Amino acid sequence: MNHGPLIFLGVFFALALSWFGLVFEPQLQLGNAQQATNVVNSAELYPQRRPGLAKQGLEVYRSLGCASCHSQQVGQTRRTYDVMLTDAGTNRADVARALLKVKTGASAVELEKALAGPMPLRILKDVTRAAADAAIEKLDPTGAKAEVKITPTGPDIARGWGKRRSVAEDFLFDQPVMLGSQRIGPDLADVGSRLPVAEWHLLHLYNPKIVEKKSVMPPYRFLFEKRKIGREPSPNALRLPGEFAPERDFEIIPTDQAKALVAYLISLRADTVIFETPMTVAVAASTNAPAVSTNAPVAAVTNAPAK
Amino acid sequence: MNSEPNPSNRARELEPIAGSARAPVWLFVLVAMLGFLSMGFLDNHGGGFDPRVYRPYKSIDELGRDQPATRSRQRFIKGQVAFNTYCASCHMKTGLGNPGNRVPPLVHSEWVLAERPNRLIRIVLNGLQGPVKVDGKDFDSSSMIPWRDTLSDDEIIAQILTFIRGNAEWGHNASEISREQVDPIRAETRDRARQWTVDELLNVPEQ
Repeated sequence: MNHGPLIFLGVFFALALSWFGLVFEPQLQLGNAQQATNVVNSAELYPQRRPGLAKQGLEVYRSLGCASCHSQQVGQTRRTYDVMLTDAGTNRADVARALLKVKTGASAVELEKALAGPMPLRILKDVTRAAADAAIEKLDPTGAKAEVKITPTGPDIARGWGKRRSVAEDFLFDQPVMLGSQRIGPDLADVGSRLPVAEWHLLHLYNPKIVEKKSVMPPYRFLFEKRKIGREPSPNALRLPGEFAPERDFEIIPTDQAKALVAYLISLRADTVIFETPMTVAVAASTNAPAVSTNAPVAAVTNAPAK
Repeated sequence: MNSEPNPSNRARELEPIAGSARAPVWLFVLVAMLGFLSMGFLDNHGGGFDPRVYRPYKSIDELGRDQPATRSRQRFIKGQVAFNTYCASCHMKTGLGNPGNRVPPLVHSEWVLAERPNRLIRIVLNGLQGPVKVDGKDFDSSSMIPWRDTLSDDEIIAQILTFIRGNAEWGHNASEISREQVDPIRAETRDRARQWTVDELLNVPEQ
């Protein structure tokens, strides 16, 4: 080996370079990430720590190897801009005239009819940001109020796995972060907002086929205890449909592990609008109306179905 | 196999030796071109190494433009932040005040929601002391601090007032306050050292 030092240096620099790129630079960027102010509802910090039971659930999730079939990262490839008319104002004729300039090829009669209809009304669909801003500028003098509606899009979002992409903040308090890489099952980054009911998750863990006929997920029956009904049936017992129910006088009780895991699954919500992932949650009628925080439980006003 | 009588020759044979060859010029050109292209790609897709920029955004400016807030909504939010910093310790985040400590509420307060805000602006600038009737209840105000010097920026005062007047969570929907409304009142009351009392305030004509 007459070039020993040279080869050593070559290997050293190659490894050092990838260490800088893959470890050091991300650490510089995100190592000091902190809870930050959510843009939409500035009084709230994001992310919030998971509740204690959900934190235990993370350990269960880890020990059962859920991450080997479920990822927790929603991707986003682009975003669309729609222009929504939130308030037609009082001078409909003026607004209709401005709209004709904005929306080429629309008929005046149709526009007038639409203006009398319910608000918000979508004027333009999937335009560039510049075009959307220009349209709003043209509508402004007529007294009508219009907004740009930003909708994240991508294959994952189309599948309903999330409303926006996952960002580093979503995992700030998770140790370890269960990103996962295989998607044998659906992505779970936002499972708490699409399936917020604990009972559904318990049934699904006990036997996935109860709720999803075509599921390939194995049943996790060892998270449940089958026991003889005592004096009275337990209120915690699973209410199983006929073919899955245990024999007479027996009931299925979820163990603490099952409860923790379900609490963790429900706590997986990545739908808060933060600076990194702008999206329009609700088109408020008044600009001063407080935007509804998406941290709120089920009833949160999200225009999810439209996405 | 021939056996070498010379041990040093033998050692040389066991040890592999790399020769040297002239590296072709095209290799250097190729590496340089690849380097150039990847730098260009990094520049276009790296988001300026800003940790807040994720795909599909390419720069922090582009991301900032997309923040779903109108201008008045932004002022409202800034007002909320400033309110939480300066006002909430007495008037509470809920705006309900602290009657135990003689702090009147802001929620449903006719002083806050007055159509013409000049008295409200005076209260913030110089504070208020003495008995005051708010929303049908009597309070003996425990001397509100004058905020003239702490909040030297009229825009912040305007934002806070915009927030407390327009906070729909409190059922408020009064007009926004602009810096231009605060400016003249600050100048007008520059020499005032005392806090306002309700009687004095009521003598100020509503404008």
